[in-house]
Amino acid sequence: MARLANLETEYPVLDSTVRNFCASHGIFSAAFAEQNNSSERLKEGIAQVLSVIDDMHQPWLNGMELLEDAKRNKHVFPTGIQGIDLLLGGGIRVGQLTELVGPSSSGKTQVCLRTASNVARNHMVLYLDTGNSFSPQRIAYFLGKTINPSSAQAKNQFLQKVMSNISCHSVFDIFAMFDVLHQLESYLRCQDGRGGCQMRLLIVDSISSLISPVLGSSSTQGRALMTSAGYLLKKLAHQHNLAVLIINHTVGGEGGYSKPALGDSWKCIPHSRLFLSCDRGSNNYNVSILRHPSMASGKAARFVI
Amino acid sequence: MGSHAKAWLVEDESAREMLDRVLTERPFLLLPPLHRVPLRVGNVVELAGPSSSSKTHILIQAAITCILPKLWKGVSYGGLGHSAMFIDLDCRFDVLRFSELLNHRIMEAANGSSSKVGCHQKDSEAQFARMKPYNEELFALCMKRFLYIRCYDSSEFLATLKTLHYRLQKEREVHGVNVHLLLIDRKSWHLQNVSEAVVQEIRRLLLVHPMLVMATKAVVLGNKYSTNELTWNYRKWSAVDNPYSRNITSDQQLPYREYMPAAWQSFVTHRILVRATDDDLVNGEHQNNSIYLLEWLLPPLNSLDKFTVRDTGVFILS
Repeated sequence: MARLANLETEYPVLDSTVRNFCASHGIFSAAFAEQNNSSERLKEGIAQVLSVIDDMHQPWLNGMELLEDAKRNKHVFPTGIQGIDLLLGGGIRVGQLTELVGPSSSGKTQVCLRTASNVARNHMVLYLDTGNSFSPQRIAYFLGKTINPSSAQAKNQFLQKVMSNISCHSVFDIFAMFDVLHQLESYLRCQDGRGGCQMRLLIVDSISSLISPVLGSSSTQGRALMTSAGYLLKKLAHQHNLAVLIINHTVGGEGGYSKPALGDSWKCIPHSRLFLSCDRGSNNYNVSILRHPSMASGKAARFVI
Repeated sequence: MGSHAKAWLVEDESAREMLDRVLTERPFLLLPPLHRVPLRVGNVVELAGPSSSSKTHILIQAAITCILPKLWKGVSYGGLGHSAMFIDLDCRFDVLRFSELLNHRIMEAANGSSSKVGCHQKDSEAQFARMKPYNEELFALCMKRFLYIRCYDSSEFLATLKTLHYRLQKEREVHGVNVHLLLIDRKSWHLQNVSEAVVQEIRRLLLVHPMLVMATKAVVLGNKYSTNELTWNYRKWSAVDNPYSRNITSDQQLPYREYMPAAWQSFVTHRILVRATDDDLVNGEHQNNSIYLLEWLLPPLNSLDKFTVRDTGVFILS
């Protein structure tokens, strides 16, 4: 909390009279302002201090405003994979974190690439890649499957336009990811409200390879980093209307069954969790809901890519 | 001097009158599924339980009961008619689900009253169509009484609490109704260093604005019964016998580690433990709703309540 003297340059009403009054009541920083005053000027000063504190937290909303915002901004993006879209009732939702969990080569990256190619037709996509799994050829393949056959030049132009909507960053540790996310936050703050192509999808492939190295039982710093990463992603998703897709691995659990990595503290952070697995030797994949805000867990579906 | 001394001895009101006054100004609240113990404003209730055990749902149920009016245009909704404030430290509140539940409650109450009149099918449909604009108006009225804020870290939470007093005063002027319910939803307490300040702020707030405070807390029950959703799903898919299912018999006392700081622990006046069981309630429409167990830890009651969550809200089974 800032000292009142330092705030005077920004808010000239907090001049020495107000500060003397506050000092006489033992108030030296913005946090201790009380409403016990007699003159108008003091009232103004107190109101100013309160508005400074008010700026430090998110605004209060009532139910109707929340509903309006949800209906207007928080759309659902189809992933382009029929089985998943049917299971989720449309696709992944803007403003929420969707986590894909599964053992290795269970189709997680493929689902992400397919979703990216679908969303990139109209919006911008940011792909954070930790294991060099981003493949532009695969995206071009997905796009090629769905556009109408026309002249090669038109096809090329379309491909170029869509591919330029996807930006891919390689991050190899959690601090680099924080860097990129903070840059993204300031970029989106300028971008919001302007028309044109907006960023609507953020993919992190995979978050477990960023967080597992710092999670250790001896220090709590790893867990704190993990939760602050989770909250930062949630903040970006909600305030800038992004859909966030996160990939997580599995580790061995009791009885030989695998469970999602990153432990119990991470379990509560994503809004929806989907478990993917692959039938051996074929292109058939299974997806089941581990957790969803409005659907019962356990619902399953199959899909092919 | 003599008259002043005598004035001291004259009584203000009898005990019976005082009880009457307090009961009307601060009535007991019976919110299902917490109906075993009557709650009053000024109480601080803590709902503990492992993740996905419907804690947030109970909070939402309480909020809906609070914002619905008691009686509106001749239909009784059984609510309290006050405002409710929701502080979301978890940032996982789904407003669409909330509005769905509110709509279901409104329609249920409206249909309940129309069926009591005993009209025919056509008449009831016409009445439903007539009630629709009333329902929407009531919906908008109730939603405006629900206040929501998200806090992404502890400094935002503290700033919110410090300005809450003025916010409540403003609300009182604008709406003319008091705020009676403060709901705090958080999955894990990462605010160790500010917990004392938080408790002090809430305590001061309760002195001036008497409210019922309900907070959730995530706990990890003893190791053998840790919730592993994958094994649970495998059990649902195949009939293979799974030795690691969460089979909790009703007379087991599950220990859990209390990790909240002492300031918060002494501030809480009521404590409840909720957990999910393996049993499912099979409805006719192929919808399996899980059954949840609720246990009162403070005041300790020796009974376990079973309830399930449906479209219209929480439904008590036993």
